[in-house]
Amino acid sequence: MWDYSDKVKDHFLHPRNARVMPDANAVGDVGSIICGDALRLMLKINPVTNVIEDASFQTYGCGSAIASSSALTEMIKGKTVEEAQKITNQDIADYLDGLPAEKMHCSVMGREALDAAVANYHGKSYEQSHDDGEIVCHCFGVGINKIKKAVWENHLTTVEEVTNYTKAGGGCQSCHMRIEEIIDEVWVDLEKCGVPRPGYVPTPLEGIKIATTTVKAASSAPAALDSATAESPYRAAAEKVIKEVSAGLPQGSSIELSGIKGTEVAVSIKGAAGEGMMGEMTLTFLGKKLQEENSALTVRRA
Amino acid sequence: MDSRNLGEGLGGIYLDNNATTRIAPEVVDAMMPYFTTYYGNASSQHGFGLPVDKALQKAREQVADLIGAEHPDEIIFTSCASESDNTALWTALWTQKNKDEIVTTKVEHPAIIDTCSFLSSHGVKVHYLDVTKEGDIKPEQFASMLNERTALASIMWANNETGNIYPVPALAEVAAEHGVLFHTDAVQAVGKIPVCVKDSPINMLSFSGHKIHAPKGIGVLYVRRGTRFIPYLHGGHQERGRRAGTENVPYIVGLGVACELAKQHLNELNTRVRALRDNLERGILASIPECMVMGDEGHRTPNTLNVAFKFVEGEAILLLLNEYGIAASSGSACSSESLEPSHVMQAMEIPFSAAHGTIRFSLSRYTTEAEIDKTLEVLPGIIARLRELSPYWNQNKPAIAKADHVFDPDSQEVRA
Repeated sequence: MWDYSDKVKDHFLHPRNARVMPDANAVGDVGSIICGDALRLMLKINPVTNVIEDASFQTYGCGSAIASSSALTEMIKGKTVEEAQKITNQDIADYLDGLPAEKMHCSVMGREALDAAVANYHGKSYEQSHDDGEIVCHCFGVGINKIKKAVWENHLTTVEEVTNYTKAGGGCQSCHMRIEEIIDEVWVDLEKCGVPRPGYVPTPLEGIKIATTTVKAASSAPAALDSATAESPYRAAAEKVIKEVSAGLPQGSSIELSGIKGTEVAVSIKGAAGEGMMGEMTLTFLGKKLQEENSALTVRRA
Repeated sequence: MDSRNLGEGLGGIYLDNNATTRIAPEVVDAMMPYFTTYYGNASSQHGFGLPVDKALQKAREQVADLIGAEHPDEIIFTSCASESDNTALWTALWTQKNKDEIVTTKVEHPAIIDTCSFLSSHGVKVHYLDVTKEGDIKPEQFASMLNERTALASIMWANNETGNIYPVPALAEVAAEHGVLFHTDAVQAVGKIPVCVKDSPINMLSFSGHKIHAPKGIGVLYVRRGTRFIPYLHGGHQERGRRAGTENVPYIVGLGVACELAKQHLNELNTRVRALRDNLERGILASIPECMVMGDEGHRTPNTLNVAFKFVEGEAILLLLNEYGIAASSGSACSSESLEPSHVMQAMEIPFSAAHGTIRFSLSRYTTEAEIDKTLEVLPGIIARLRELSPYWNQNKPAIAKADHVFDPDSQEVRA
């Protein structure tokens, strides 16, 4: 028997917001009955304020899938869409006082349902707004981008962990080698951002000098900063963090400060690091680093 | 009652006897002197050894009696049925160097299936019999798979998940006609249905103690006289040189008593317990819509009931049952550490909408009518409650509201 926390048990036995919402204006469906769990998230978003005024769910799945869905609805109610989207799968697990490692995919499913609901609100399907990329795990239909995101956000290092978080590799296991490659690929980028890879000691190559200077993108001169930005008390902190994160990006990518309004830092990301899902990752990472520097700071794209 | 700390005397309704069973108090009583007084080694040439040696002999006779073995020396005590199964597979290959094929089924216990897949990665060719939607094998397919390269045919006597009984005596005849060694994993059959090895040409049979109210850690491999045999575990002369290691005396004594009790209660299992199981089945089908019995209803062990509740997931059902202290098991993916539904349900090609919601109730001679009544009282509410949560269920009938094809429970899509 899984040793669930009291909070998981509570949310399973007394699920919050488990009902159909007939007047929902955002609905997200993820999972499938074939995979053994599925979640429908229903939201009522105020079109003027962007606040999630009500959230409800229906879930087919195990105890932790039901508890994760219940927790998610409680966490996002009253938040704006933008605030809600900052919630990570780890936040859902933390809210429940942790999930067994093998059940982390339940929290990932919750996070995906939110993305799907927001995409639906904007009139897109989840597939349109999310490029799965190359399908890696054919048994559970998991794309490379979901695996990369799980590795990136949760600093996963083994195939087993990737299976726990995404289900990828949990069937015929023929994709395990490919998942290992993907983990390595993501860690190359994570290490560039200054995250040390646990238990991983690179072979020292003495006597060989590897050029590590990054070629900056040939960009036009940065636009002049407005007076609010120039005089912002956060300017020094923001510039420092941007410089640090920028240095870790792949060749040809860079981040530029566009402006500071109150505590909100606007940036533009140039090059490959700013495109598609990598762009989201870069932005999330920058936001995290800014918060570490000063907890009041938030980031958005210019 | 604390639902996270259940056991005998702590409350709870135990309906998971195909997983393991309560150790009979008579068995515990019989074992105790061999922990305290008679601690000698059966091989010793002194007064400490003699009573122990006699106890082993008696237990061997009790076991032989239950399974209808002609000679007690055909009984080899092992540590578990998995060891017995491994031994049977290996000895068949080792003693017949000119043969390298094994015939078995897709619904065997992992002790056979996983060992076979290990063997197949080492050059052994394994043929798996298909099963029908009811979980039955096709005897004509069995005959067609046997040839002069077949070292062993291993077919389970009864299935642990569905309770299906396979025609083992008849299959053993077919194997004998083809000159093929025959082994059966009878873990779920011994003590539940009549088993008599001397009536049919079964060469080897495995079973374990903890499914028949003896403790865990003791198993049996029956090897018919005249069957060529090479041990799996070397290092001593015990069990007539067929299984090394000092005999686990208290457990062997316990197993002997458990076998004697099992024989006494065999009739009760096929009358009183079978009636309870049938009541449970009828009650569930009458009170809960959209559920179906898995397996072949005409050919099942008398204590086993496997029901698929559509549109709900098995682990969630188990968790809610456990809140009432009711213990059962599930073939769903989430209740195990694997992400796939059980290989038995997959072999039976049960639709995924049902396979994830299968629950196995397995009774024993300790199960009472009140326990079955209590289960029938709470189960409809549990299923209704989970279906209310399920996006696939709406107002007491399956719902598919604007679901895309992946989300659609009736999707015919199967995984690659």
